Amino acid sequence: MKKIISVTINNEIYEIAVEPNQTLADLLRYDLGLTGTKKGCDTGDCGACTVILDGDVVNSCLVLAIQTDGSVVDTIEGLATEEGLHPIQEAFVEKGAIQCGYCSPGMIMSAKNLLDKNTNPTEQEIREGISGNLCRCTGYQKIIEAIDSQKS
Amino acid sequence: MLLPRFDFHDPASVQEALDLKKTYRENARILAGGTDLLVHLKKDLVSVEHLISVTKIDELLKIEEKGGDITIGACVTMASLAASGLIGEKLPALKQGAQSLGNHLIRNKATIGGNACNASPAGDTLCALLIYDAAVILQNSEGAREVPVSDFFVGPGKSCINDDELLTGFRIAVPPAGSGADYIQLGKRKSSEINVVNVASYIEIDPANQNILNARIALGSVAPTPIRGAKAEQVLAGKTADDTVFFEAAEAARRDDCKPIDDFRGTAGYRQAMIGVLTRRTLAAALAQAQGK
Ligand SMILES: Cc1cc2nc3c(=O)[nH]c(=O)nc-3n(C[C@H](O)[C@H](O)[C@H](O)COP(=O)(O)OP(=O)(O)OC[C@H]3O[C@@H](n4cnc5c(N)ncnc54)[C@H](O)[C@@H]3O)c2cc1C
Ligand code: FES
Ligand code: FES
Repeated sequence: MKKIISVTINNEIYEIAVEPNQTLADLLRYDLGLTGTKKGCDTGDCGACTVILDGDVVNSCLVLAIQTDGSVVDTIEGLATEEGLHPIQEAFVEKGAIQCGYCSPGMIMSAKNLLDKNTNPTEQEIREGISGNLCRCTGYQKIIEAIDSQKS
Repeated sequence: MLLPRFDFHDPASVQEALDLKKTYRENARILAGGTDLLVHLKKDLVSVEHLISVTKIDELLKIEEKGGDITIGACVTMASLAASGLIGEKLPALKQGAQSLGNHLIRNKATIGGNACNASPAGDTLCALLIYDAAVILQNSEGAREVPVSDFFVGPGKSCINDDELLTGFRIAVPPAGSGADYIQLGKRKSSEINVVNVASYIEIDPANQNILNARIALGSVAPTPIRGAKAEQVLAGKTADDTVFFEAAEAARRDDCKPIDDFRGTAGYRQAMIGVLTRRTLAAALAQAQGK
């Protein structure tokens, strides 16, 4: 049976009916058209579906939409503003940290959450922070350089 | 991948959760972090009609020290365990276990109760629970019981929890001064990998003469459940803590305690050899800690 939940996504409140067996990733992508959040594996292995849920990064393929009633969700679509890309997005472009781009939304959400909590992470902390995000293309080094360039 | 259809319940208290468990019994499953259960449901490995979500129940989220015991709520996540000053100071091997589970994303969701109920022989917090001799607290709508963690696991993926019960937490006696503990896990890569072999050791020494007052060893990934290294513990009992006796204990752990299998992650021979090496290394690290080094 569908249930109506109220969830804040990228600063906008959504009142929306969800099925109990719908994941947050599917709610974002299929019901709300927020297809920036990717699905690679759907089983928690790849991190393509990473979003920030109530201040912590999670795999949205392993969260039920119904569990986010009353929660705050941030996705990649919430980063850019009218002025342009978010500085972390800019850094990924600048440093060549994006190739095919499939991992990038998840990777950037992990990077953002890391930098929100720790403005001056060590290389080890950066590696830890993206340890749940797989990238088939870049070899990670340029991603780490991009995040490193955003330390303050 | 589609999840099967189920009804979702979001009880506000343990009592409410237990009432639901009593009503639906084997047709209901507890949903904690979902990092095992949702994957198993997607892969059609388990079936369910009712999911009872328990991660918002306050009393399951606490870490407390009271009267010489530390209690840890079932829904405490790996991230919270790893960040807890109390756990880091008093139960360092459990912190190490929590820190090595999965990856940064998984640790934000995965709970200690889920790790125990999933009952994998490789589970990353389970060796620590064994060496700290944790009691598992199980409740049904009539009352609570405590089971020593060494009796809790009965087979791969199987524990002694009943259909109408909820694991509400763990109770661990605060280790005394002059004790130390360590945990090491080996996998093919650092993140997101099931352990090939994992070992934890706990040691308590008499500072006057370095005699071993108490030693507990737990071996992971080498039997159908995580196990205590009973033979290795016997070797240590009452001896003076030094490299020689640790070597003998490691030999006993390797020879007598474990029965590993071959799989694509590693051969039985490799696992057996590494059990010896890790037993020795964790004992040495635990001793250094016990001596305040
Ligand atoms: C990518 C990935 C990597 C992983 N890496 C590791 C790893 O390195 N080491 C490791 O040990 N594990 C690993 N896991 C497995 C998993 O994350 C852990 O076992 C985790 O601790 C499970 O906890 P959970 O809260 O997510 O459990 P859930 O999936 O919510 O539940 C697991 C099982 O326990 C039952 N259950 C949960 N809580 C209770 C309770 N309070 N009372 C009664 N029953 C309950 C559920 O009904 C279910 O059957 C990994 C998983 C993924 C997806
Ligand atoms: S799609 Fe969620 S982790 Fe891969
Ligand atoms: S850029 Fe292609 S997967 Fe990372």
